[in-house]
Amino acid sequence: MKVSDILSENVIAVNLKAADKTESINKMIDLANKSGKILNLEKVKECVFEREKLVSTGVGKAFAIPHGKTDEITDIVGAFSILESPIDFESIDNEKVKFIFLLIGKDALLNAHIKLLSRISRLMNKDGFREKLLTAKNSEEVLKLFREEEMGYIDI
Amino acid sequence: MIIFEYILLLISVLILVSIIMTKLSNNLGLPSLLIFLAIGMLAGTDGPGNIYFDDFRLSQAIGVVALVFILFSGGMDTKWQCIKSAMSGALKLSTLGVVLSALIIGIALYYIFSFPLFEGLLIGAIISSTDSAAVFSILRSKSLRLKGNVRSLLELESGSNDPMAIFLTLVLIEAVKFQGFDLLNFVFFFVMQFGVGAVVGIGMGKLLVIIMNKLKLPNEGFYSVFAITYSVLVYSVTAILNGSGFLAVYLAAVVIGNSEFVQKKSLLRFFDGIAFLGEVTMFLTLGLLVFPSQVLNVVLIGLSVSALLIFLARPLSVFLSLMFSKYKFREKVLVSWVGLRGAVPIILATFPITANLQNGSYYFNIIFFVVLTSVIIQGWSLPVVARALKLLLPESKVKKIPIELDAEMSKSSDLVDIIVPDGSPVTGKPLAELGLPEGCLITVIYRDDEYIIPSGSTSLEGGDAIIMLLKSEHKQKVTEIFRKPL
Repeated sequence: MKVSDILSENVIAVNLKAADKTESINKMIDLANKSGKILNLEKVKECVFEREKLVSTGVGKAFAIPHGKTDEITDIVGAFSILESPIDFESIDNEKVKFIFLLIGKDALLNAHIKLLSRISRLMNKDGFREKLLTAKNSEEVLKLFREEEMGYIDI
Repeated sequence: MIIFEYILLLISVLILVSIIMTKLSNNLGLPSLLIFLAIGMLAGTDGPGNIYFDDFRLSQAIGVVALVFILFSGGMDTKWQCIKSAMSGALKLSTLGVVLSALIIGIALYYIFSFPLFEGLLIGAIISSTDSAAVFSILRSKSLRLKGNVRSLLELESGSNDPMAIFLTLVLIEAVKFQGFDLLNFVFFFVMQFGVGAVVGIGMGKLLVIIMNKLKLPNEGFYSVFAITYSVLVYSVTAILNGSGFLAVYLAAVVIGNSEFVQKKSLLRFFDGIAFLGEVTMFLTLGLLVFPSQVLNVVLIGLSVSALLIFLARPLSVFLSLMFSKYKFREKVLVSWVGLRGAVPIILATFPITANLQNGSYYFNIIFFVVLTSVIIQGWSLPVVARALKLLLPESKVKKIPIELDAEMSKSSDLVDIIVPDGSPVTGKPLAELGLPEGCLITVIYRDDEYIIPSGSTSLEGGDAIIMLLKSEHKQKVTEIFRKPL
């Protein structure tokens, strides 16, 4: 599996508008819901916000990766967005966040969940990749960039 | 009367010696089942061990139980995706392929060696199914990874062609006995074998997943015991309902292996062990059962049947069955070459004896010889052939999470997955010096596609994904530790 395998054009947004962290996460989950893999939207929101309460998922470099695990999905769900304007995410480097990747996993698929988290953070950590993403005009281009960037990586 | 303790002593010594000898078979690149057979034969009447054993019924029983475990373990390891792509090919091989193989052998024996037609066909039928124990044990050995879905095809075939072979064998035993048979009756029998086997197998597999997840057992070891007993239940229920028990066990295991439930990892490991024990015991027993001096009497006819099977019946039946499928020529060649015979034919070969057919033990010896040569020639040369056909994969290293999370634990929010930010103050320092609060534990680190079990001297790097046990009252403290100073 690759990160780009869990994305599709309808769960990617460019210029997402959100005023704060809570609104951005809610919008991301609504976006992820378009995948049709979510069984219970409320339970998914609950697990993401629960996880966020423990340690912020704003991992620095303008990137946040809110995530959670629940059985109320049929398969691992992802969503990605570039925000119209950066917001505060209580990030670990105290910088504002511009990119958000949402990942919902299952307890039973912990192995894949961890590997995806690591892969996503590795991709987003690359300055060149983030710059390229900023030039993307629509979700189609974003997905294409993810695919290209992941070419050199093995399947996880 | 032999004292019970002596029997136990004997069994344990034989099994232990067999396990130790697998090192030898590994070095020689030999299928281990061959070593087990050899040890059984050496321990038997004609060997230095001089143990007299000719209990065909007991051998049949041991063989059936062992096969249940082997199929269950093999099925649990089979990925659903592989099955989907290999399904149609495997179905053709395990139905049409089996019939063709039996027919070709039977007709050849009739014309070349003037066997009575039904008896030739009977021998053909008994050796018509590839053996899952042999195929799994050879294909699953570490050094051999096949490209594409040839492996799934072969495994699926070997797991599903026993009903057809058993069916043909039973029909032909009747035919030899009474010089004819009631076709309609046997078509019904066949449909029952397949239909009931599939329905009960899939149904009971799904049921087990539900039970395992609902059942909160006090001891995690109980899950394995529960599952192993359940596999025997699947076999017996299906067989009593006139279905194919082997098919049901295999399908149930596939369903289970592709579902998620608590204690799955320990279950897989446990079944690996049990399947291996089954394999050792079964082949030892079969080695003991045979009288090598009698097998020597059938060398000529045995070699001929082997040659017919390996070079004519198997390739022809494979190429005819897969005529309209997407497999490449060299893949079909490989499939033809992995026509490994094993325990099922030997167990089936005891059927004519227990059915009191006149030439029963003669057939048994021929079949034993054929299986032996098939495993030696095809099993031993398989890696070479696969390499020559360019169907071998380089060794891959897909890493699995090395810990198993308890049902209770993973439900609690206290187990947090954290990504270590680049430039976070925690990087580059030994974990012991981070000052993590009491009760916080970094259980595993995932870095560069590897899982690392940390110790106090391990240090974190930016981009690591870690799984941490965290008491919620400490979250503030932990956040501060991970956070970059302002």
